[in-house]
Amino acid sequence: MAIGKIHSWKKVTAQVILLGIPTIVLACYLLWDANRLYNILQNDWIKQGAYFAAGIVASLVFYSYRFRFIATTVLLLGIYYGAYKILGNFNVGEFDAFFASVQFLLFAVLFSAGWLTGYGFSRSRYYTVFWSVFLLAIQIIVVSKTSDFKAGDIIGAFAPVLAYAFYIIFTAELIRNMNEDETHFGWFIAKRMLGFGIVVLVLMLAILNIFQDDFKAIEKEWGNAQANYDKGKGNSESMTKNNKDGSVSNKDQTKLTSSLNKGKRLVFVAKLDNFFPNTETPNPLYFTAYYYTKFDTLTQTFEIDTLMPDNDLFRPDPSKIPLLFAKKDSGVIKNSHGPLEHKVVTAEVYKVLLSADEFIAPSTAFFCQPIPVANEYKDQYKSAYRAKMWVSNLNSAYFIYNPAGNQQLEQFQEQRFEELRTVKDFSEVDKKFRDYYTFMPSNADYDSLRILAKQITANAKTPVDKMIAIRDYFLSKDEFDQPLFKYSDNPGVPGIPSASKLNYFLFETRKGYCAYYAGATLFMLRSLGIPSRLAAGFLTIDRSSKNPGWYWFYEDQAHAWVQIFFPGYGWIDFDTTVPDVNTQQAPQPDETPPLNMQDAYFVADGTVTEIDTISKRLKLDVNRILFHDKDYETTTAQNIQLDVSLATVSRDTGTVRLGEVKKGMHITAASYAEALKNITANDNDSLLSIFNKLVKPVPVDQIKIIDPESAAQQKKKEAEAQQNPTDWIRVLWITLSIIAGLTVLAFLMPWFIWQYFNTSARNAKDTKQKAFNSYRASMYYLNQIGYSRTNFGPNEYARMIDGNFKTTFSSFSNVYQKLKYSSLPLSERENETVQTFYRPFISNVNKQVPLKTRVSRFLNIYNTISYFAQSKNK
Amino acid sequence: MEQQIQLDQALENIQKLVDNIETVIRGKRTQIQFILTALLAKGHILMEDNPGTGKTVMAKTLAQSISAKADHTGVNFKRIQFTPDLLPMDLIGSHIFDDIKKEFIFKKGPLFCNVLLADEINRASPKVQSALLECMAESQITMGDITYKLENLFFTIATQNPIEMEGTYPLPAAQLDRFFIKIIFGYVDEETELDIYKDYLGIESNLQHIQQVLSMDEILFLQGETEKVFIHEEIIKAVRNIVWGTRRHADIVLGASTRSGITFLKCLKAFALVNGRSFVTEDDLKLITSAVLDHRLIYRNKEAKQKAIAGILDAELARLSKLNIGN
Repeated sequence: MAIGKIHSWKKVTAQVILLGIPTIVLACYLLWDANRLYNILQNDWIKQGAYFAAGIVASLVFYSYRFRFIATTVLLLGIYYGAYKILGNFNVGEFDAFFASVQFLLFAVLFSAGWLTGYGFSRSRYYTVFWSVFLLAIQIIVVSKTSDFKAGDIIGAFAPVLAYAFYIIFTAELIRNMNEDETHFGWFIAKRMLGFGIVVLVLMLAILNIFQDDFKAIEKEWGNAQANYDKGKGNSESMTKNNKDGSVSNKDQTKLTSSLNKGKRLVFVAKLDNFFPNTETPNPLYFTAYYYTKFDTLTQTFEIDTLMPDNDLFRPDPSKIPLLFAKKDSGVIKNSHGPLEHKVVTAEVYKVLLSADEFIAPSTAFFCQPIPVANEYKDQYKSAYRAKMWVSNLNSAYFIYNPAGNQQLEQFQEQRFEELRTVKDFSEVDKKFRDYYTFMPSNADYDSLRILAKQITANAKTPVDKMIAIRDYFLSKDEFDQPLFKYSDNPGVPGIPSASKLNYFLFETRKGYCAYYAGATLFMLRSLGIPSRLAAGFLTIDRSSKNPGWYWFYEDQAHAWVQIFFPGYGWIDFDTTVPDVNTQQAPQPDETPPLNMQDAYFVADGTVTEIDTISKRLKLDVNRILFHDKDYETTTAQNIQLDVSLATVSRDTGTVRLGEVKKGMHITAASYAEALKNITANDNDSLLSIFNKLVKPVPVDQIKIIDPESAAQQKKKEAEAQQNPTDWIRVLWITLSIIAGLTVLAFLMPWFIWQYFNTSARNAKDTKQKAFNSYRASMYYLNQIGYSRTNFGPNEYARMIDGNFKTTFSSFSNVYQKLKYSSLPLSERENETVQTFYRPFISNVNKQVPLKTRVSRFLNIYNTISYFAQSKNK
Repeated sequence: MEQQIQLDQALENIQKLVDNIETVIRGKRTQIQFILTALLAKGHILMEDNPGTGKTVMAKTLAQSISAKADHTGVNFKRIQFTPDLLPMDLIGSHIFDDIKKEFIFKKGPLFCNVLLADEINRASPKVQSALLECMAESQITMGDITYKLENLFFTIATQNPIEMEGTYPLPAAQLDRFFIKIIFGYVDEETELDIYKDYLGIESNLQHIQQVLSMDEILFLQGETEKVFIHEEIIKAVRNIVWGTRRHADIVLGASTRSGITFLKCLKAFALVNGRSFVTEDDLKLITSAVLDHRLIYRNKEAKQKAIAGILDAELARLSKLNIGN
C-alpha cells in the first residue's frame, strides 16, 4: 500500500469549500434543530457542529492520500476506545465522569459521522445519494416526533435538507469530474453553480406555483407568528385578532399556548335590556361571537365546526345590511331548543374597534338591524346595530363572579339552580346531538382528566350540581389556604411538545387563562356525559351604576367559557375562569353612553342614479323602503329625488363627505323629517303609492354607503379560508410527496433528456441538423449506458464503439467531423450516411445491451451529470 | 473556402511512402505518420529513445525511399554521426585553398543536402548543435561575406538518446523549438517484436534493397498540397486556447510561443493530409498536440509533465465536441 496523493490540493480545497462547508452548515442547522427537541444534547450545538466539522475536514484531507478505509476505521475505533479508557481513569466524581463520558460519546458519534461523510465525498461516487436519503430520513423522524405541527417546522425541516441534497449530489459529481488543469477553474465552477442555482430556483418557483394555496396557508401562519413575535412574545396567542384596517375581531379558533396577549383598548359599547325578573337590577350576559365545538388534539386548538348539529349560531354581516333594515333567522331559535323560561331581549352594540362586519350578541341572537349613530358620536363610534336575542331567564354572567353579599343575586342563583336541578339526565336528548356534544378524544391523557372529574363531582347528583362542583374545585384552596388555581396569561407549556397542555394545566402548573379553564371544564363535563361546548366572545362586566344596562368592552375582556345544554332550557353560560387577582379593576372608567337616535320615518335602499353636490340633490333607484317601520319592496326599481342638504354621510369607516357618494353606489338613506311624521300609510299601500304621498324632494338626514368591495368582504374570505384550519398532517404529506416527486424526477431526468435528444435526432430533416442531433443523441446514449468518451478523440472513440457493437459509428463520425470542420460539401453517399445512420445504430446497440442493464444505467444521474460536466482528465 | 486539393494523388503518394517504409519498420504506424507530418509541414523532427529501438533505421529507410540512386529525380541524403569532437565546419564545410586557381574555394559540408540524418545529436558539443539548428531555422549558411542558400527541400531527422544517458549535451529549450515535432520512438509491442525476430534477416535485406518511391518533385508537390488543407476557425481558436493555456498553467514555467502556435497549425494541416483528409478535425488535435508542444515547454515537475498538456487539451476537446455545426 503505497502512500501517495490521489487528489491534488486544488481538488481537496474544492472539496472542503464546496462540499465540506455546506455540509457543516447544514449539520449545524440540524443539530440546532435537534437541540430544541432533545434535552440530552444540552443545547450546545456550536460545539457539536465543531466536532462534525473537525471530522469532515480531517477526513477529506486524510483520504486525499491513498489510505484504505477499513484499516483506518479500525484504527480510529481503537483511538476512541483508548481515549474512553483514559477518560475513565480521570475519576473526578461520579457525576463528572458520567457527564464526560456522555460528552465523549457525543463527540465520537459526531466526529465519526463527519469522518464517514468526508470519506464518502473524497472516495465514493454514490455516497452523496445515501447521505441525502439518510438526512431526509432523519428529518422525517424528527418531524414526526413533534405533534405541534407548524408550517415553519415542516419547511424548516425539509427545505434546507432538500436543497442541500440536490446541491451536494450535483456538486460532488462536478468536483469528481473536475479537470485540475482547467485554466479558468473558478469561472468554470461559478458558471455551473449559477446554472444549477437557476435550475433550482425554477423548480422551487414551479412548486410554489403548483401548491400556491397550501403555501398561502403556511405563509399566513408565518405572518401571524411574525406579528406575535413583533409584540415581543414568542409563542403567544391573543383572544382577538387585529385586522388589516386596524379593527378588531374575535378569532374563530383558540389555541392553547404558553402565553396570552391582551390589549387594553375599547372594542365596543353595548346596551343590554336584560334585568333580573321584576327588578331594575341589570343582569349582564356574555356576548358570544362563536361556539367552539371541536378540539384539535394535535394542535390543541379549539375550533368552529360548521357541521355542528342544530346550528344555532346567527352570523349576519351588519355592514352588508342596509341601514335600519333588519335581518332575522328564526331557525336559530328553533335550534336553540329552549322553549322554557325564555324571552326576547334587545341589545344595541356601538362599535369602536370592533370590525364593521362583526356581529356579537348574547346567545341566542336571531335578529340584526344596523342603526345610525348620532352625529355627535360619529367620531367615537363607527357603526352600530341592534340585536335581538332569545334569552333564557336562567342565564347570567354571574356564576364565578358573585358580588359577595348581594342578596338579590344569591337568591337568583339559588332559584335558577333549583330550576335547573329538574334536569336529572340527558336521556331525552336526541342521540346524535348528545353524542356530538359529549365527544371526547380517546387518549390516555384524557383518562386522568376523567378520573379527576369523577372525583370532584362524586357528591353531585344533577348536572348543574356537577357544574357547581367543578367551579368550586377551581375556587378551592390548598393545604396552605392559598388558592389552588391562579389566573395567568403566561401559563407556559410542558417541556414535551406533544404533551397535553390541559393535563399540564390541571395537574402541574394550575395556572392559565380562560381557554385553559374553559377547556378543562368542557372535557370534565363531557367526560361526565353532560352536553357542553365552548363559547367565545366578550366577558360582560357591570361596572356602571350611572347607566344601568350599559356595558363597556375592552380588548382584555375577550373571553372563552362553557355552555351546558339543559333539555327544555337550552344553552346556559357557565364561566369557570378564576378571577385575575392582579386586574380586578377596570383599566378605564366608563364614559357616557351614546344617545339613541330617534326612529326614522322613511328609509330607502337603492342605487344612486344621479348626484348633484352643488344643489345637494340626489336621485335614487329604490327597491326597498321602510316607512314608519313597515317594510315595502318592489321588483321594479322606482326612482325618487332626495334632498340631501342636511344629510350626514357615513361609511363603515366613519363619517365621510357628500362628495364620496358616486353614481352607481349602493346607499341607504334615512329621514327623520317632521314633514313625514304625519303622512301615514295603510295596509293597502305599495311602495309606489307611498312615493306618491311623500313631499318631493324627500329631505334626508342620514346616508349610509354600502361598500361592495369593503374590507369586510375580504375579511370574510379570509374567515372562510380559516374555517378550514390548515391541516398540518396534510401539509406534511404534501411535503413528503413533493420530496418523493422530486426524487423520482431526479432519477427520471436522464430519461427525459434522452427523450428530448432522441426525438430531435429522429425528427431533424436538414442534413446538418440531423447530423448534429444524431451525434449528440448517440453520444448521450452511449455515455448513459456506460460507454463514456472520457478523453478519447472522436474517431478513436467511434472505432471503440464499433468494436464493441459492430456498428458503423466511425463512418458516421467521420462524416460528422467533415460536416463540422470542412468547407467542402458532402457527397451523395455521405449525405445518405447522415440520413440513415441513427435509427439502425440505436436499435443495434439496444439489442446488444440487456434491458435490465439499460434501465439501471439510465437511472444513474451521475452519468448524466458527468456528460454535461467536463470530460475527465485521466 | 477550401482550395481544391488533389487529394487522391496526394494520398496515393503518401500511401506508397508509408508502405515502403513499413516493409522495414514494423508496428510504428504512428511514428511514421509523425515523421511524414514534419516532412510535409516543411519542418524537422527529433526522435528520442534508448539506443536500439530503430531510430536510425527509420531515418535511413525514409531517406532511401525518397533519395536519388541513379537518376537525379530523387533527393540528396546525407548522414552525420554526431560525436563530442565534431566541429561546426565538419557540418557546414570549409574554405580550402585551390592550388590551381590560387584562391580559396568553399568546400560544401554535408548540410548541403535534402534529407539530413543527424544521429545522436545530443552527443555533439553545444557549438556544433547550434550551428546545425541555425541552419535548420534559416535555411541558409553564412560563411564570412557569402551566404549560401540551402536546398528547397531540407529535412532534418535528428535522433537523440534520453538526456539522462552519459556523455550527452542536452539541447536548450530555445533550440528544441526548431524541431516541429519530437517523438518518443518507443518499443514495439510483444507480437510485432516476435515477428521481427522471426525474420530479422529479411529486414536486413529489405533495408539494403529499399527502392526510391517518390521523386523530389513529388515531395515538393505534397508540401504544396499541405498548405491548402482547410482549418476551421474553431480549430484555430482551439490552438490559440491551448497555447494560452500553457502560458497560464500553474505547473508550466515556460509556455508555448506564438511561433509554436504557427508551427502547431502547420503540423495540424500536414497531419490531416497524412491521415487522408483535406480538413483538420478534433482527432488531429487530440493526437498531435503533445508531440508538437511537449518539448517546447518547461514544467515545474515530472508529475506536471504527464498531466498538464493532457488537461489543457481535454478541456478544449470537450468544448469542441459540444459545438454545433456552425456554418
